[in-house]
Amino acid sequence: MIADSLTSSEATATFAGPAIIVRSLRVNYGDREILHGIDFEVQAGETLVILGGSGSGKSTLLRALIGLEQPKSGEIWIRGKNFAAMTEDERDDLRKKMGMSFQSGALFGSMSVGDNVALPLREHTRLDDSTIEIVVRLKLDQVGLSGFETYVPAQLSGGMKKRAAIARAMAMDPEILFFDEPSAGLDPIIAAGIDDLILKLKKAFRMTIVVVTHELASAFLIADRMILLDKGTIVANDTPQELRQSQQPRVRQFLDRVPEPELSEEMDYLQMLTGEIPPRRR
Amino acid sequence: MPLTENIGEATISSLAYIGGLARLTGESARAVFIEPFRGRKLRLSRAIHQAMIVGVEALPIVSLISFFVGTILALQGAYELRRLGALGLVATAVAVSMTRELGPLMTAIVVIGRSGSSFAAEIGTMKVNEEIDALETMAIEPVHFLVAPKFLAMILMMPCLTTWADFMGVLGGGLFGVTSAGFTWASYMRATLDALVLRDIYTGLIKSVMFGLVITAVGCLEGFSTGLGSEEVGASTTSAVVKSIFLVIIVDLVFTALFYFTAPH
Amino acid sequence: METSTRQSGNATIVDVTGDITLYNTPRLRKVILDLLKEDRSPRVVVNLQRVNYIDSAGVASLVEGLKISRDLKSGFALYGLSRTVREVLELTRLTRVFELYDTEEEALRGASSSPASAH
Repeated sequence: MIADSLTSSEATATFAGPAIIVRSLRVNYGDREILHGIDFEVQAGETLVILGGSGSGKSTLLRALIGLEQPKSGEIWIRGKNFAAMTEDERDDLRKKMGMSFQSGALFGSMSVGDNVALPLREHTRLDDSTIEIVVRLKLDQVGLSGFETYVPAQLSGGMKKRAAIARAMAMDPEILFFDEPSAGLDPIIAAGIDDLILKLKKAFRMTIVVVTHELASAFLIADRMILLDKGTIVANDTPQELRQSQQPRVRQFLDRVPEPELSEEMDYLQMLTGEIPPRRR
Repeated sequence: MPLTENIGEATISSLAYIGGLARLTGESARAVFIEPFRGRKLRLSRAIHQAMIVGVEALPIVSLISFFVGTILALQGAYELRRLGALGLVATAVAVSMTRELGPLMTAIVVIGRSGSSFAAEIGTMKVNEEIDALETMAIEPVHFLVAPKFLAMILMMPCLTTWADFMGVLGGGLFGVTSAGFTWASYMRATLDALVLRDIYTGLIKSVMFGLVITAVGCLEGFSTGLGSEEVGASTTSAVVKSIFLVIIVDLVFTALFYFTAPH
Repeated sequence: METSTRQSGNATIVDVTGDITLYNTPRLRKVILDLLKEDRSPRVVVNLQRVNYIDSAGVASLVEGLKISRDLKSGFALYGLSRTVREVLELTRLTRVFELYDTEEEALRGASSSPASAH
């Protein structure tokens, strides 16, 4: 019998309770407040989709959740721990259980696609190189990039970069996976493949998944719950069915793709053009 | 704004900048000397890779420049020495100036142009492309991963390059000595060895290590302070080169003075 | 995760208990590869009945075992897959690559012509 020597990062027991709790979260860029007090929870194993137009603060919210933005006030609890109160080692352990797929991909330009996916495994585990190679091929296969291990990011199209980034985010089989606009800019078939992958990951690995997107079709397909952000506040936090039937004006406007109302008065418009009133803050 | 206020502000921002350099250096030292004992990997292969780029690939240009500088030194020295009828001292003049001053300095200038600028460009590009953010979300400390191997490579390669530059400079001086000052290659080399004391060599090498630290810290700090947008990378690169040259000269001055005043009479 | 091995006829059974994760899978890999390469076991059967979770690195180790067994012309089979383990193998499209069985007897015989069906 070989007994396990469990270190903190080795413990895989899934945390009971909400995977993510956000309380009165406010985030600033400089003097400008982007998020005006956000509250929500994500249950373990749940897929949460954060919807919102550009400038709604949804990317900022995602960056705050993964610890890249410091909240001005409010709290973010992940797996029962307050992000702000963690030691460096605790934060690192937590981050090994989280994966993030950036909108631009954020692949390391100096490394091949295979090395990009292998990096977290090489850095954080004692897996043999031959095992890592197989994991890399498995991950690339799942995103439809088999055979691209030796390519460098510059040789890939935008959509391929994004898929390689998803493979890298999944490399450690994280408990919580974050996607920033996973299917934006992809052709419809590839985008459907990504949606399918998200559903499979949730089923096979019981992953908690947070997706920021403005693609409605994809959102309704993958979401267990949806949050609609508008100008830094949550206007709806519902199941897809509830959201679809919501009669809230902002929700209807977003779902029915109604353009922003134009400035009502010609004089307002004139004043805006001549700089007498500042443009509305979005 | 009154002059004193300007000076005060400039002083504070300079001190803050030097603080930034020191933090980066300290954090890298931690990655190299302390983290490996806490079970973290020392990224030796990355350091070796950097050492190849910083050191080995710089050899041709360092050789060429220091050879010519050696010749120039010999020519300039001979101009004065000839009037004193002491042309035979040209080997001494070249040897001492090369090892104490121009070997380290010329090497530093080349390394700033090749590596200091590329550190800033590399890290700046990574910042703009969110690659630094990606490292953080993977629990990979960017300074440990990116900067520490560069420091390690620099500390190793700068003395090597400088020693080589010293040697090439002596050869360059020898070219003049042999063709125009009545030396043979053997007698020129013997005169060089007689002229040099150990102190000449190691003060030069100490300087070169300090230059390496400055170049790495400035290049990387400029990279990390790159703003949003790819045009900012160019600005960081330029700024890395200008600030590195300035700081290398300052460090050179400080250490030269230090060595002068601590020298045995 | 704990592993133990026992002999049954000419086959060696590896009983695995617990979650197979990227932090402990190198030990499972070593056990399997040692049996195949060092001990030259003609058939290695991995008992996954008491495994609730396997991640991609664990799957990769099993793939390595399968590959080595093919190279050495020995047998390699898995049995007793829980629903989650099966789902992971399905996600990675490996259910048809591995020899999968429901029970130990079938796995030992290697006879059950059709791969095991889900329980």
